[in-house]
Amino acid sequence: MFEKKILNTILTAAVFVMTSGSTLADSITVYSPQGEENVAWISQQAEAAGHEVEFLRAGGGELFSRLEAEKNNPQADVVLGLNDTAMARLKFQEMFQKHIPVWADGLPNVYKGRDGMVHKFWQTPVVIAYNPDKLTPETAPKSWLDLVKPEFKGKYVLGPTKWGTTQVLLSGMLMRFADADGNVSDEGWDFMNTFYANSASVNNGGDKVNLFKQGDAFIDLSWFGGTFREAAKAGYVPTLVNSEGGTPFVAEGIAIMAGSDQAEDAKKFVDWFGAPDVMAAYAEKFGQMPAHPDAIALSPAEVQEQTGLVDPQLINWDVVAAKLDSWLQKIELEIK
Amino acid sequence: MTFTSSTQNGRLERIAFFSGIILLLWFLFTFLVLPLLTTFQVAFFSSGEFRLAEITADLSASSRVKKALLNTAWMTLATTVTVGIVGIFQVAVLEYFHVKGRTFLKVAFAIPLVFGSVVAATGYKFTYGPAGVVTQLLQRYFPAIESDWFIGGHGVLYSQTFLLTSFYYLFLRAAMRRVDYSTVEAARSLGASEFTILRRVVLPVIMPTLFAVMLLTIYTSTVSFAVPEIIGGRDFVMISQIILVLNSLGRPDMAAFLALFLGLFIMSMILLMQWIEAKGSYVGGSKTPVPIKLKRVKSPLTNIVLHGIAYLLAGVYILPVFLIMAFSFAPAESIGTEVFPSSFTLSNYASVFSGGTATGPFFNSIRMGLLAIVIGLSATLFAVPIMVKYNNWLTRLLDIGFFLPWIVPSVLLAIGLIVTFDTANPLVANQVLLGTFLILPIAYTIHVLPLMVRFLRAAFMGIDPSLEEAARSMGANGIYRFRRVILPLVIPTVVLAAGYTFNEILTEYPLSAFLYNVNNRPISIAILDSDKSTNLEQAAITLVYAVLIMAFSMAVILFAERLSLGKGPKTNSL
Repeated sequence: MFEKKILNTILTAAVFVMTSGSTLADSITVYSPQGEENVAWISQQAEAAGHEVEFLRAGGGELFSRLEAEKNNPQADVVLGLNDTAMARLKFQEMFQKHIPVWADGLPNVYKGRDGMVHKFWQTPVVIAYNPDKLTPETAPKSWLDLVKPEFKGKYVLGPTKWGTTQVLLSGMLMRFADADGNVSDEGWDFMNTFYANSASVNNGGDKVNLFKQGDAFIDLSWFGGTFREAAKAGYVPTLVNSEGGTPFVAEGIAIMAGSDQAEDAKKFVDWFGAPDVMAAYAEKFGQMPAHPDAIALSPAEVQEQTGLVDPQLINWDVVAAKLDSWLQKIELEIK
Repeated sequence: MTFTSSTQNGRLERIAFFSGIILLLWFLFTFLVLPLLTTFQVAFFSSGEFRLAEITADLSASSRVKKALLNTAWMTLATTVTVGIVGIFQVAVLEYFHVKGRTFLKVAFAIPLVFGSVVAATGYKFTYGPAGVVTQLLQRYFPAIESDWFIGGHGVLYSQTFLLTSFYYLFLRAAMRRVDYSTVEAARSLGASEFTILRRVVLPVIMPTLFAVMLLTIYTSTVSFAVPEIIGGRDFVMISQIILVLNSLGRPDMAAFLALFLGLFIMSMILLMQWIEAKGSYVGGSKTPVPIKLKRVKSPLTNIVLHGIAYLLAGVYILPVFLIMAFSFAPAESIGTEVFPSSFTLSNYASVFSGGTATGPFFNSIRMGLLAIVIGLSATLFAVPIMVKYNNWLTRLLDIGFFLPWIVPSVLLAIGLIVTFDTANPLVANQVLLGTFLILPIAYTIHVLPLMVRFLRAAFMGIDPSLEEAARSMGANGIYRFRRVILPLVIPTVVLAAGYTFNEILTEYPLSAFLYNVNNRPISIAILDSDKSTNLEQAAITLVYAVLIMAFSMAVILFAERLSLGKGPKTNSL
C-alpha cells in the first residue's frame, strides 16, 4: 500500500518532469549583467521593434567566467553591458566577430576599436561624492589620492573586488602610479595599502546604503547613477568632487559572439539597440549617459548636464585588461 | 514453480544486475569523474604549463591565505563542539525527556533544515547585524555598543552553532529510536542512576551515529561559505571564500590547488566516518526495540531549567525566521529602520505574484529538483546496498567516487561540466549537453549524491542481515527481496533524504549561475537578482522569496518526517 503510494508519487513526478518541455523558437540569446529593471525595459522595447530576444542575466564576474568556459560552444549570441576590461579580455580570446553597427558613424574613437568588434554604447564616470551635511567643499577630498588622509578613515566604503565599480576605481588609482606597460611603482602599492586600511568594507549594496543612512560613512565612491540612487535612499543629495588628475570613466560595450548561429538577427538587434533614439529613450528612463554624441543631444537636459561635471582621467583599458587580474590578486592575497 | 523457471529467473536477475552495474559505472564516470578531471585539467593546464612552484610560493607568501586556514581550523573545531552540545540537547528534549509542547519544539528545531545557506546567513545578519533588530534594541539600552558588534568570527560561530544542527536532528533522533526501552527499564529497576543509564545503555547505541554526525559537521564547517561571507566581515575570512575569489581573479589553478588541499582533509574525514560506521554497525541494540517512554524530570527546579533552556533555544531558532516573515509583510521603507514593522501590507507579495517573476523560476526549480532526486535515488538505491554488502576494493572505490563532488567547489565543478559537455560527447550518445535543459538537473544530481549516499548508507547499515537471509531461504528472488523486505525498511530514510536534498537544490546558487539557460532560470537566481540590487523594493521582495521557500521546504520536511519517524515516543505515565 505504502510502497505503491511512493511509487505513484515518483511516477507522477517523472511524467510531470518529462512532459513539461521547453519552448525556444529562434530568438537570440543575450548575456547581460544589467539590472533586472533595465533588462525588462530593453526586452520590451526590443520586442516592440520586432526583435526576438531572450536575456540571460548573472553577475558580471560569473557571466565573464561563464563566457570563457563556454568558449568552445558559445551559448550567447550577443554580450551586452560588460565593462571595458571584460570586453577587451574576451576580444583578446577571439570570442567576438566583426560587425560595424550603423550607429558607429560619429561614435568617438575611444568607444570603438579598430577591429570593429566591440562598440561602447553608454559611459559613466566612477566618482567621489560626499554628503554635504558632513563635509564642505573645503574639508572634502580634492582627489582620489586624498582619501588616504587620516580624517577620512572609515568614511568611505569599498565593495568586493568582484564589483565592476570597485575594479574601475582601483584601476584608476593604480594607473596613476603605473608606467606605460602597467607596472605599478612601490609608492603605488604603499598607497593602496593605506587606501584599504582606511576604508570601511561591505560585500553587498544594502550594507553600503545602511552605512550612509546611519551616517557612519559619508564619502561615496560609486558610478554616477548609483551615487544619486544610493544617496536618495540614505536621505541626502550628494555633491560631486571633480578630482585632480581626473575621474575614471567606464563604458559598457556590445559585441556579437564569433560562434553565433543567428548572426544576422544579432546584427539587427545590435544596430537597433545602439541607435541614438533608443539610447536617448534609455537615458530618459534610467538617467544614464549615452556614449554617442547624437544620443546625448537627444537626451533629457539633466543627462546632458552630466557631461562635463567631472574631467575624465585618460586610461588605456587594453593595458588595464592585461594587468587587472594580477593587481587584484595582489590586493586580495597581500593587502586586504 | 519448477526448477527451470527459477534458474531462468536467476539468470534474468543476473543480467539485470550486471546491466545495472554497467549503467552505474557509466553514470559515475561520465558525470562525476570526467567533469572532475576536466576541472583540474582546465585549472592547472589551460595557461600552458602547470606552475606548481609559483602557485605554492604565492599561496604560502600570502598572510591572508594563512589567516583563512587558521580561521577555518579553529572555527571548525569550535563549531563541532557547540553544535554537538546544542544538537544533543535537542535530541534529549525531543526523544528522551518529557517536555511540554514537544510538537512546537520539534518544528522550531527543524528550522535549520529549511533555513540554510545564503538565506539563513542573511537572516542572521538581518537580526543581529549593523541595521539588525537585536542591535537596535541593544543600542537603545546600551548606547555604547557598536553597530557592527556581531560581525566577525564570534558572529560566525554563533550563527553556525544554530544553523548546523540539522544532521543531529535527522540522524541522531533516528538512532535514539533504536534504543531499547526494556533495557532502560531493566537498568532502572536494578537501581542504576539516570546518568549511568545514559552512559551505559543509551550512549553505546547512538555512538556510531554520533560520530558520523560530528564528522558531517566538521565537513560542513570546513567548506562553509555563506555564513563567513555575510557575517564574517573583512577580518574573518574562511578558506572557501579565498578559493572563490582566486577563481574569479583568473587564478583557477590556485583555487583548484587550495581546493585539492582541502579535499584531502575532507576525504580523510569521509574515510574515518565510514570506518567508524562499519565498526559500529554491530553494536546495534535490540532487533525489535521497545519504544522509549519519555522521562519526566522529578526535581521541579531541574524541570524548570530544562524547559527554560529548551524554549530559549526555540526562541533563538525562531527569531530570525519570524523577523523575516514579519518584514516580508512590511512596507519596504521600514526595513533597516524599524525594530518591528509598524504597519503591514500585502503589496510585496502582490508584486511577486502579479509580475509572474516568482512562479516561473519556482516551477523550474521544482521540476529540476524532482528530476535530480529521481536520478540520484535510482543510482544510490542500487549502489548503496551493493557497497554495504560487498566489501572489496571495487566497492570502496565506488564509495569514494560518490563523495568526489565534496572535494571541489561547485564553481570549479560547473566549469568542468561546461567544458566536458560543450561538444558532442560519445559518452552521452554524441549529444551536446551544454545549453540544454538537462545539464542543470544533472549538476544538481551530482551536488546531492554525497549526501544521499550518506543518508542511505546509514539506513542500509541498520538493516539486520538475517531478515534478508530469511527471505532468501524461503525462495524469494533478489528483486522481490529488495522490494518487499529491504525497501520498506529504508523508505523512511529515502523520503527524508529526498526532502532534505530537494530543499538544498532550491537554494543552490553557484552551479545554477553557470549552467542555467533562458528556459530554466531557477529560483535561486531570481532571489540573487533581487538581493544584489540596492533598490529597497527589491530587498522586500527578497524577503518574500525567502518566506515562500521556507514555507514550501517546511511542508516537505514535516511531511517526510511524519512518514519516516511517525508521531514519536509517548510519555512514561508512571
